[in-house]
Amino acid sequence: MSRIGVVVCHCGTNIAGVVDVERVAAEAAKLPNVVFAVTNKYTCSEPGQATMKAAIEEHQLDRLVICSCSPRMHEATFRRMLKDTRINPYMLEIANLREQCAWVHTDKEKATEKAIDLMRMAVAKVEQNKPLFTSTIPIHKKCLIIGGGIAGIQAALDVADAGYQVTIVEREPSIGGHMVMLDKTFPTLDCSACISTPKMVDVGQHPNITLMTSSEVVNVGGYVGSFEVTIKQKARYVDHTKCTGCGLCETKCPTKVPSEFNQGYNKRTAIYKPFAQAVPAKPVIDPDSCKMLKEGKCGVCAKVCPLGCIDFKDTAKEYTETYGAIIVATGYDLIPWQDLYGEYGGGRYADVITGLQFERLVNASGPTEGHILRPSDGTEPKDVVIIKCVGSRDPHKGKSYCSRACCMYSAKHAHQILEKLPGANVYIFYMDVRTPGKGYEEFYDRTRADGAVYIRGRVSKIYKENGKLVCKGEDTLLGKPVSVQADMVVLATAMVPAVGVEKLTTMLGIATDPDKWVQEAHPKLRPVETQTGGIFLAGTCQGPKDIPDTVAQASAAAVKVCGLFSKDEMETSPMISGVDQQKCCGCGFCVNCCPYKAISLVEIDAREGARRVKKTVASVNSGLCQGCGCCTAACRTGAIDLSGYTNAQILKEVDALCL
Amino acid sequence: MSDIQSALRETAKKLLTEGTVTCVIGWGETRFPDKTTPIFVKTPEDAEKLVWNAHCVCGLAKYMLDNRCPEGKLAICVRGCDSRAVNRIVEDKQYKREDLYLIGLPCEGKDAPICATCTHRNPVVYDVLLGGPVPEIEVSQEDRFQAVTALEGLTPAEQYDYWQKQFSKCIHCYACRNACPACNCTECYADQYRVGWQGKQIDKAENQVYGLTRAFHVGDRCIECGECERVCPMGLPIMSQTRKILKDINDLWGNYECGLTDSRPHILGEFDLSDRDDFM
Repeated sequence: MSRIGVVVCHCGTNIAGVVDVERVAAEAAKLPNVVFAVTNKYTCSEPGQATMKAAIEEHQLDRLVICSCSPRMHEATFRRMLKDTRINPYMLEIANLREQCAWVHTDKEKATEKAIDLMRMAVAKVEQNKPLFTSTIPIHKKCLIIGGGIAGIQAALDVADAGYQVTIVEREPSIGGHMVMLDKTFPTLDCSACISTPKMVDVGQHPNITLMTSSEVVNVGGYVGSFEVTIKQKARYVDHTKCTGCGLCETKCPTKVPSEFNQGYNKRTAIYKPFAQAVPAKPVIDPDSCKMLKEGKCGVCAKVCPLGCIDFKDTAKEYTETYGAIIVATGYDLIPWQDLYGEYGGGRYADVITGLQFERLVNASGPTEGHILRPSDGTEPKDVVIIKCVGSRDPHKGKSYCSRACCMYSAKHAHQILEKLPGANVYIFYMDVRTPGKGYEEFYDRTRADGAVYIRGRVSKIYKENGKLVCKGEDTLLGKPVSVQADMVVLATAMVPAVGVEKLTTMLGIATDPDKWVQEAHPKLRPVETQTGGIFLAGTCQGPKDIPDTVAQASAAAVKVCGLFSKDEMETSPMISGVDQQKCCGCGFCVNCCPYKAISLVEIDAREGARRVKKTVASVNSGLCQGCGCCTAACRTGAIDLSGYTNAQILKEVDALCL
Repeated sequence: MSDIQSALRETAKKLLTEGTVTCVIGWGETRFPDKTTPIFVKTPEDAEKLVWNAHCVCGLAKYMLDNRCPEGKLAICVRGCDSRAVNRIVEDKQYKREDLYLIGLPCEGKDAPICATCTHRNPVVYDVLLGGPVPEIEVSQEDRFQAVTALEGLTPAEQYDYWQKQFSKCIHCYACRNACPACNCTECYADQYRVGWQGKQIDKAENQVYGLTRAFHVGDRCIECGECERVCPMGLPIMSQTRKILKDINDLWGNYECGLTDSRPHILGEFDLSDRDDFM
C-alpha cells in the first residue's frame, strides 16, 4: 500500500484565482491511498517546502503529488527538497495547474474540473513510480570548437586561457572567418583585420590550442563528457611541419585563379595563403586548380621550395579524439541573391555588388588597395545606391528575419564612400533603420549628417541605361515613385547559415529552426546551450548578429565549457530508456527514430527453443539518451520503456482520465 | 507452367544435393485439386513434391521465421509478392539475406483477388529466375486504393458503424498477424500479458484495439501481399486499414511502395531534421 501526499498550490492568485484549489484538495483526499491532501499558498517557498517535509515525516508518505506550475519551472526544486527526506526524489509527480489550466482558462467551474482531472492523473501515475537513482559520467577536459571565425577564436582563447585543451576545426586553409575580410567595423571604425589578426596569432601560438585548418568534422559519437569525434584533414600537399612560410612557391606558381578571399576581384595562385595575415601562415595547394595535380605537369613549387615541403602524393588524414564539450561556431554565408533577385540583374551587372564585396573594395589590403573603384571599368563611382534588406525581411523571396548587422554596415559603407570619394552621392533605400546598440544611433545620425540620403522604400528594379544603373523604387514617405541613376549599387544581402551546417547538426544531433539556424535550448535563459548536453553555440550559427554580440556569445559559451570542465564527473538523469532484451526483436526501428543517436544494435547470446543463438537487440547509451521517448512510441513489442514515463504509468494516467 | 515446375524441381534437387541449402520452402499438393500448401523440402527426393500452378496462393516468406527448417541456408520460392516479403523481413533484421537462396518465379497472377492490383509480378530480388519475366500490368492509384476511397466517401459516423460491424466479427485468431510478413516480432505485443495492455477477451473494445494497433504496427511497412485479408476466417476487410495508411503516405510524400529493396528506411519510423512539419 502506498501512502500518497497531495499538495495543491495557490501560487498566490495565479492558480487559486481560477481554480478552486480547496475543492481539488478535497477531491484528492477521497482517492485511494491518498493519506494527506492540503493546499498551500506558495509551495515552492521556504515555508511551503518545510510544510511538505514535515508532512512526509508525520504521515509517513512514500510518494508526493504537487499540483502547481509547469515541471520545467520547479520540478528540480522539489526534487532537491526530497533529497533531504525519506522519499526518493523521483517518487514525485507534478500536475501542472498553472500553465496548463489556470493561465489558459477563465471559467472557474470547468477549470476546477480540469484541475481535478490533472490531479487524478498525477496520483494514478505516482502510484506506478519507482525510485530512480542518478549515475555519474567522467568528463574529458578537452574542448572542440567547430569553426575558426571570430566566435571560434574568442571561445578558443577563453577556454584555453582557463587552462583547458582546445582544438579548433576550420574548413578553410586559415582561421579568421568573415571578420578578417571586413574593412572597418561599426560604430568605432576600427580596422577589422587590425583587431582580429592579433587574436588569430594568439590562437596559433597558444600552448593549449591545437589548430586544424582545411579540416572538417566527419563523425561525432558519444555524449557530454566524452564525445568521440572524427576530424578529416584534407590533403594540403604542403608539409606544414617543415614549411616556414617563406612564400617563394607562391611567387613562382604559374596558375592564377580568382581569389575567394577577395571575392574574386583579383587572382591568387594555385599554391596559396588565402591572405597575408593567414594563420597558419603557410600555403596549401588547391587541387582543383593546380596543374601538377590535375594534369601531372608543372611542379614548379616543388622545385623552388628550399625545404622540400611539397608533397603531391599527400592524402586526406582522419583523426579521432575524445572531447568533453563542443562549441559550434560555424558562422554564416550570404544569401545567393543572384538566384532570387532577377530584378536587380541577377548578377548580370558587374557593378551591382554585395556588402561583403564592397568591404574588399574599400579595404587597404584588398584588390584595389582601398580605392573604391567600379568592378566593371575600374573608375570611381559618383552616385552609389545602397539597398538594404535584400533577402532579409522578405518572406516571399528570401527570409522573413532581419539580418541585424546590415543597417549599421550600410551606414558605415555610406560614411566610407562619402569620406573617400569627395563629391559622391549616396542613396540608401531602406525599410526601417534599426540601430539597437551602443553608439549605433549616433553613428547613423553622423552618416546622415555626412550627407547620405535615406529613402524609405524598396527598389523594384535595376536596369542599365546610358551606362548608368537605374534604380527604380518608391519613396513611401513622399508616396512617389523615385528613380536614381547610379554608378554602383551595394546590396545588403541577408545572412544565411553556413553551407553544410545541416550535415553537421545532424551529426551532432542538435536541432535547427526552420531557417536552419542552430536552435538554442532556451531563447532567453539558455541562449548558448543546445538541447544536447555538452554542445554549445557561439556566433552567427545561432542567428544573424554583429561582432560585439558574437564575441559576447563566444565568451559565454566558453564559460559554460569551463563550468562543465570544473568538475571531474557529472550527474546524469535516470529518466532514460531501457531495453527488455527478452522482448526486443532487434528490428532497429528505435535506432532510426532516435534524435540523439543514443540507440545501437548489439549482439547477445540467447536461447531459442533448444538452440543457442546470437540475437541482435537494441541497447541504449545512458550518456546520450535524453529521455524524449520517441523510441518507446516506435517499439512495436513494447520492449523499450522510459524510466519515469513508463508505458504502464501513461496507461494509468489515461485510465484515470477516461474511466 | 509445367516447364517451370520441372525446372523448379530440378533446381531444388540440385541445391539440396550440392548442399547449398538445407531446406527448400515451396508449394505442394493437397487433397484438394484447387489448393496447395507450403511444404518444407529437406531431401533431394522430396523435390518431386514441389508444384507450380495457379493455386500457389500462399505467401511463403514468413515461413522462414518458423524454426521448422534445419540450421543452415534456406531456399524459398519467391513470386513478386514473396520477394518483397523477403525484403521486408531482411530489412526488419529478422533474417540475413546471405542465409537465403531465392528461387525467383515470375507470376501471372494466382487464384486470389489481390493479384488484380499486383504491381510487381516479377520478383524484385532473387538468386535464380526460372522462366522469363512476365509483363507487368498497369495498376492505377485509383484501382490500388479503390476500397479505401469508397470508405473515405462515408461520413465519420457511417465509417464508425462500418468498422464497428467489421471488428465485431473478429475472433482474435491472429491469423492475419501470423500470415503477415511485416508482423515479424519475436513476441507480438498482443501475446504479452501486462496490466492495461491488449486484452485477450473478444469484445468490442479489445477487438478495436487489436485491429487498429495491428494496422499501425504494419502500416508504413505493408507490402500489399494481401495475405492478412486472404487468411481471415471472418472476412474482415483488413487491407483497407493498411492501405488507408499507405494512401495517406502517398498523398503526403508521393508514390510509396515497400519492400522493393532491403535497405529503404521506414517512412514513418525515422528521425530526420528535414522532415516535413507544415502540419504543426
